[in-house]
Order: sequence, then C-alpha cells, then structure tokens
Amino acid sequence: MKKKTLALLLALVMVITCCLSACSDTETPSAADDGSSTSATSGEDTGDDTSTEDTNTEGGTPAAEGIVTEVATPREDTLIVEVQTPSDTPGQFNSYMQGTSMGQGIHQLMSAHMWEMDSVAGEQFGEVAADMGTPNDDFTEWTVKIREGIKWSDGEDLTADDVVFTFNMIKTNEGINASAATNLYIDAVEKVDDYTVLFKMTESFPRLTMRYGISVWGCDYRIVPEHIYSQVEDVTTFKDENPVVAGPYTVEDFDPNGDWILYKLREDWWQSTLGVVGSAYYGYTEDMVPPQYVWMRVAGDSSTKQMLMTSNEFDVLCEVTMEEFEAMNSTNPNVQCWWPEFPYAYLDDPGSKSICFSIGQGAPYDSADFRWGIALALNYDELTEGIFQGAGRAAPIPLLNHTQYLTEQYVIPMEEWLTSFELDLGDGTTYAPYDTTVAERMAEAKGLSDLSDEEKVEMFGAGWWKQSTEAAEKLMTKAGLEKRDDGWYFEGSLFTPEMSYLADTEQQAGRTIQVAYNQLLDFGIQATITTKSQATWDTDGGTGNYYIAGYWPSGGITTDLYSALSGFDNTLISPMGETGSGQGIRWDNQRVTDDLHALANMDPESQEAHDTTVDLLQAAVEDMPYINVTSGTKFVPTNSTYWTGYPNSENPYNGPWWWWSCFKYILPNLTQVMK
Amino acid sequence: MKFKTFFAQRILAWALTIMIGVTFIFFIPRMFPSDPVETMIAQMQSRSGNMDPAEMEALRTKLRVQFGLEGSLLEQYGSFLWNGLLHFDFGPSLMSYPEPVNNIIGRNLPYTLGLSLTSTLVAWIIGNIVGLLAGFRPKKRSSKIMEGIAICIYPIPYFLIALILQIVFAYLLGWFPIQTTLMTRGTFLQWLGSLLKGSILPGLSLLLVGMGWQIISMKSLASTTADEDFVLFARFRGISERKIGISYVFRNCILTQITALAMSLGGVFGGSIMTEIIFGYPGVGQLIQGAILQSDYNMILGCITISIVAISTATLIVDLVYPFIDPRIRYG
Repeated sequence: MKKKTLALLLALVMVITCCLSACSDTETPSAADDGSSTSATSGEDTGDDTSTEDTNTEGGTPAAEGIVTEVATPREDTLIVEVQTPSDTPGQFNSYMQGTSMGQGIHQLMSAHMWEMDSVAGEQFGEVAADMGTPNDDFTEWTVKIREGIKWSDGEDLTADDVVFTFNMIKTNEGINASAATNLYIDAVEKVDDYTVLFKMTESFPRLTMRYGISVWGCDYRIVPEHIYSQVEDVTTFKDENPVVAGPYTVEDFDPNGDWILYKLREDWWQSTLGVVGSAYYGYTEDMVPPQYVWMRVAGDSSTKQMLMTSNEFDVLCEVTMEEFEAMNSTNPNVQCWWPEFPYAYLDDPGSKSICFSIGQGAPYDSADFRWGIALALNYDELTEGIFQGAGRAAPIPLLNHTQYLTEQYVIPMEEWLTSFELDLGDGTTYAPYDTTVAERMAEAKGLSDLSDEEKVEMFGAGWWKQSTEAAEKLMTKAGLEKRDDGWYFEGSLFTPEMSYLADTEQQAGRTIQVAYNQLLDFGIQATITTKSQATWDTDGGTGNYYIAGYWPSGGITTDLYSALSGFDNTLISPMGETGSGQGIRWDNQRVTDDLHALANMDPESQEAHDTTVDLLQAAVEDMPYINVTSGTKFVPTNSTYWTGYPNSENPYNGPWWWWSCFKYILPNLTQVMK
Repeated sequence: MKFKTFFAQRILAWALTIMIGVTFIFFIPRMFPSDPVETMIAQMQSRSGNMDPAEMEALRTKLRVQFGLEGSLLEQYGSFLWNGLLHFDFGPSLMSYPEPVNNIIGRNLPYTLGLSLTSTLVAWIIGNIVGLLAGFRPKKRSSKIMEGIAICIYPIPYFLIALILQIVFAYLLGWFPIQTTLMTRGTFLQWLGSLLKGSILPGLSLLLVGMGWQIISMKSLASTTADEDFVLFARFRGISERKIGISYVFRNCILTQITALAMSLGGVFGGSIMTEIIFGYPGVGQLIQGAILQSDYNMILGCITISIVAISTATLIVDLVYPFIDPRIRYG
C-alpha cells in the first residue's frame, strides 16, 4: 500500500511538472532535428517544421515556421543577439545612473548621440546634430545645428532644449561620471533657437565632435528627453524603468536577473534617429523595416554558445575564436563570419594586438635597441599562423591601428620612408628592416595568389619587419645583453623576462604572446610566461607591473589620431607603481610629445595636422615603444537561418559592431528569410 | 548546567569562526594586486577609446570617493564589521555602482538556494537509502548494480557530467533548454514552468554527483555496522531484517551522514558556480566569480560572508542537535 502511494505521488509530481512546462508554451530545440526547431514551438505547429526554400547557405539548416521564442515572440520576427555580460541592474535604463549596462542594447537601440561613427569610411556623421559644428576662429565656441524631424517615443519633438538640458544636467550633477570631465572643457551650452545650440568652451577646443560624439564603441553623452528628466528630482538615482527614447526601439520586457532584454520596434520608427538619420546619411527608405523584436541575451560559456548558435537559437554572436567558428560553421553552414572563406574574420577591429614593454622597469626595456632586437628576432609568418592561422593584417607601425582605412591613410603613403628606414646595429653596420613582401608571401601560403595586389594588402597588410637573428643579436648586444651558451645575460645574470597575457579572453593578444614566447626561446631568451585575471591585468597595465605583455595600446580609427594618442604625452608619465592618466608603458619621447602638443591646437582636418601625425608615427617607428603584430581580428559570427543582409566582405556597408551604438544602422538592411 | 556550558562553548566557537573568516575575507581581496577603480577606468577607456588624461584623473578621484576607498584600512574594516557583519549591509557593488550588494544577492540567492538545497537534500536522501541497501544487503544483485553506478559516477568530474547532460538532453534531444531562460511575459504558471524546465538538468547534474558520494559513504558505514555484534545478536533474537536495517544499522550510520549533510548545505554557494556557468542558471555562484575577477570588494564580502555564516550556522545546528539524536553523546 505504501509503495503504491509513493508511486502515485511520484507520478503526480511528474504530471504536474509536465503540465507546468507545457504552460510555458515553449518547446526546446533539438540539434538532432536538423537544428530546425530553434527555440520554442507554439501549439498546433509543434513538430511541423515547414522549411522555407530561402536558406542562404548550401547545406544550412532551414528556418521553421510557427516557432515562438522563449520570450514569447515569433522567431521569424525576432533578431537574437548575444550580449557578453549579464546586467547587475536589470530594469535600469537611465544611462546617467551608474551601473547601467549600456551594452545590453540600451545604447545600440535606444540612445541618441550627437555624432555617430561610420566605421567603414572612418568618419563621423551627425545623429542628433545636423552638422559637424561650426567653430569660431580660435575654436572657443561651436555652433551646432540640431536635426529636425526626430521624435521621442512619446511623440514629443527632439529639439535644442533637450541637448542644452542634457549637457547642463551632466555639468551640474557631480554624481554623473562625465560631470567633472565636461566641466573641464565646456563652459556653457546655450540654446540659440529651437534647432541651434552654442557650445562655449573653456579653452581652444578643435575636436568637439570627437570628444562629445562617438569615435569607437560609444560615448558618455546621450541626449535625454528634457520633458521627462527635468521632472526628476535626482537624475543619478532615477532608474527610468519605462524609458522614452529617440532610438528606434523601446523596452518590451527584461529578465529580472539581468540575463536579457527584449526590445520592440517603435511603430513610428521612421521618426526615430534611425529613420531620420538613416534616410539622410545612408539613404534608407521607409519600407526597410528593421526586425520587430531584438532580443539581446547572454549566451553563456564557449560550448553553450556554440550549441545555441548551431541550433539557431542565436542570430548574432559577439566574438569567438577561429576554432570555435570553424566548429560552428561545419555543423551549421548558415553560421558565417565576415569573409565566406579564409580569413573569415573582420580585420578592422580598433585595437592592433601588440607585444608591449614596461619601459618604466628600466634597462634593458628602456632601450630602443633592445625592443628592436626583440622585433627582429620574431618571424612574422609564424606569428600570424600561430595566432589565427594567418588571419590578420600585418601591423608594422606602433601607436597606429591598422584598419584598412588607416593602412590606406598612413601605412601605404609612408612606404617609401619605411623602406628607407635603417637601424644602426652598433658595429658600424645598418639594417633596413621593412619588408613589403608579407602580403605576397602570406597569399601564396594560403593559396590566394590569384588575388590582386590591392586585395592581398587589404587581407594581409602592407608590410612588417624582416626577421634577422643576426641583426637582432647585434642590437641586443648594443643594448647591453650578452649571448652565452645557455641564453642571453644582462648585467651578469641570466635574462629571464616574464611574458604575460590576459586569461580567458582577448585570444588574439594572448596567442600573440604565446607564439612570441616560443620564438624568443628559440632566439635564446629564457623567458617565462604567465596569465593574469582581468582586474590584475588592468591594474598592472596602469602601474607598469609587468615586463613584456600582450596589451593593445593603439587607438582610434579616424584620420585624426590626437584623441587616441594624447596619453603618450611624456608629461603625463607617472612613477612606477602608480596609475597615471597617460600610457602605462611609460614611453618617454620628446619628439612625440612635441607633436602631440602641436596637434592639440591644430585643425584636425588640416594638412599640417596630417603631416605632424606622420612625423609622430615616424618617431614611434624609430623608437619602437611596443611591437604591433596584427590588426584587430575579430570572428563575429552571424546565422542566416532566420535573417540575411548582415554586413560582410561582399557587402561591407558597416562593420560587424553588434555591441557598438551604430548597430541600429545595420538593422534596416536585415531581411527575414521566411518572407 | 552542563547543557548551558556546552551551549555557550558552541556559540562562542560559532562567533569566533565567523569573525576570523570574515576578517580574512576582508583583508585578502585588499591584498590583490588589482584595484576596482582602475578596472572600471580601463573598461571605460577601452570602450570609449578617447578619454582625455585630465578627464581620467578627475574620474579617478571621483570614483575613489564614491567607492569608499579613501579612508584607512582600519576605518574600512570597522565600517564593514558594523554595517556588513552586524547589519548585513555590504554597501554598493563597485562594478554595478551604486546598486546595493544586498539587492543583487537578494535577486540571485533564491535561485541558488532553491536549486542547491533541493538537489543536496534529494541526493542525501536517495544516496543514503541506496547506500544503506547496498551496505546492508551486499549480496543482492540490485545492491551491486546501484553501488556500481555510484562508483562509476562519483569519480567523474562535475563539469563533465554537466556537459554530457547538456549535450545529450538539451542539444541533441532538445528536451530541455540549453540555457535557462525564465519566462517573464506570461502568467505565474508559465514562469514557474520555465523555471522547473530550466532547473531539471542543473538539478540532475548536482544530484548525480552528490548522490555518488552519499552512496559510497553510507554503504561503507552500513556494511561495517552490519557486522557488529549487536546486529548479529538482533538476528539471533529473530528480529526482522527490515527492522534491523532501519532501527539498528541505519540509525547508527546516519549520525555521520547528518554531519556530512550540514557541511554540504553550508557549501551550496561555492558548489553552484560551475552549475550556473554551464547551464546559464541565475544565482550567487556567478556573482562570486565575477566579483573576484573584477575586484568588487563589497560583492566578495557580501557573498562570502553569507557563505561563512551559513556554514558556521549549519555546523552549530548540527552540534546542538547531535545530543538529541544520539543519546550516547552527553554534554561533557
């Protein structure tokens, strides 16, 4: 009897569980079902996965009708995008309240910025601003026109009042992160008329758009609705749980545990920033309707991420390794990256990966001969092969991001100078290290010899530094090192520099150090290798507590590099152990500092500014403060089972920046496979 | 009188354990080579990419004041003892400033407790029953099979079991979600259904691992006890095997297992980290991991303090309850 009771109870529990699960109206996908049932199936369509003919890649899994996502939206109307970290402040959408997770779609889909970034052209364009501003003669005042026609999601017009209110709100609220910094340079922001604003600066300030607009990921200046925020007693504690936005999407729902946010397209999206600016700058039309829903969600660890992507539960991932991508692509060919075949990855991420020296550690790290010696001891072909199997554009010039745009702007025009540049090896001989045959060699090694010269340079870079162990040894000797049978010695002791890299993430930088470590061992340097956690890595980068490490100090993707490089001013170098406001590598170069001081007050568009920047880069090459290896190389996979039209090498209308604020300008280009 | 002394000693030990534990956990993160302010600045710098040096200095000063890192270490410790330990107010999370640590832990704790406590208790109950049967009736085929399964599962690393379950039942068969997503747009029942569905695989993985040890441990105890003279004497007296198993063997073996249960319950926080990462399950485990990686002192203090208090209290309860369970133990 008791056994029967127990069995009945168990059966009851199972039935209840099944019923409750059924109540959720969802069904979990199965990779065994050809990946076709992506997330959840609603009622009558269960098991009836009607395939569409419009799949994009041969062999890819077909889209299925009637699928409902786990957040109860039609799968074919929902773009599912990975966010890299969960939010600790779910339900908090005020970008001026600290802790708000902007990257969970808030700044991509809802925020309005003064100036946005066209990463392909390497230039900014006005978003809320209708122009790039008009300065007075000495750049102490800027008059900025505000774009007409943008409406907030509650129907109010976005006007100069909103812009003036936002900047004054930032200036007067010390609790806002950007407040102190804003007061340093902005004296006042005044309304001239409904669509004109006057910025009064505290000093000559030639780079208004670079500082108060977006140049890479996003920026701290997001225009808020004056009619809402002016009613709030304390904007730094106002969560803004039902945000009124100028962007194309509003919040439909969010996970109380911070793992996801569901966004819904505004019915009047054509009057949002996307519609108004998109039509003016990109030529979008009203029938290019973006996805009805964008579900930004955390994808979990590496294996989970791959399972979710290959079973079509995600459309877009932020970043994977080459091996992860190849595994996903072989399981589900609809999963693609920037290039349809090698090198797959997007090569224009702002952040060339480097081998950095903590110059503040003193000799031999503070010797340009030593640093050049290390550079010439390295074999580029083996380096790039070891990093991402040869994917990545060669990055010869320190301080510079080697995007395609900046390669064309600086590296190729500097080729004559780079080729004629010679190193004094200290024994009366010289060595010309620049090698322009990298692209040709790599193309041949990868079976891509049929590409044009321009395509080879675009894919593999304009050049790098020729390996020469003989020249490297001479330079090391010149720097005070001595080669013995068991390795290199410095000041009588075996030279054993520690090489470090960031654990778990930033694979490109980590692999750069790993391969370089092996090559330096072959060269006779008895280096050691270690990893560091994010927090330790960040702190050590500032305090200089490392010797040789895989950081990425190069910055900027626009022609004007001043803002990205101003930290290399030698007056900002802080003592070892302290974190300053400039570069962590503590590179002291007076010529570069003089160039930076000169650039600070130049019109960034002028020829004089360009020439000064070139001089700065030449000084950097001569001193080699750190060794740039390859351009920022990112594998950002997309899944074309439900959506097509993502930017890629064949249609590079934008970069694959799902986590940048410019993501919204990609969305009108996406089309539903089902329709 | 003896009970009062016994009680006072245990309470004192409990308080001392907590005090020493939280003191360590207060000072150790501050010896990390990392700094939460620099971590936050580095993150902001890498994102916006063009922070002016003067702006960076202004931000640095502001964050140090806001994060409460300006006072001396002793002042910070005193403040922590008063606010954190006595009032369970751990201040704001440094990485999610100004969101209070309590709010974040409060949001996540129910999931960790719900999943880990349930699976630990179920694993303990099933493991002890199976272990008892295997130890008390070692020659039965069913006992051998159950013991064999336990011996096979126990040495397998937890993450491997979790991954196998995830790949087979979520990815290949599609019976459960690969990652837990809680349905918030529907009714309470829909939410509960999504929670249960999302909890089955994480719970099962914890159950399998937890049960393996309980079976082996209980089997060992039961087989030893089954050979004791008093068990033999009971058989001579003609007492039924069922009664011998429950009243003679089980009752003598369960004392050690109760201690093990208390320790397991106290450790649910640490044990949940891998489960939460693999299955994307909400909970405190991921908070601890993120806090350590990002030097979020307050979050580390909050999570670990709760863990220390939980383990100490579980041990205290066991100590206090023991004499009532085992009449052989007296307060001296």
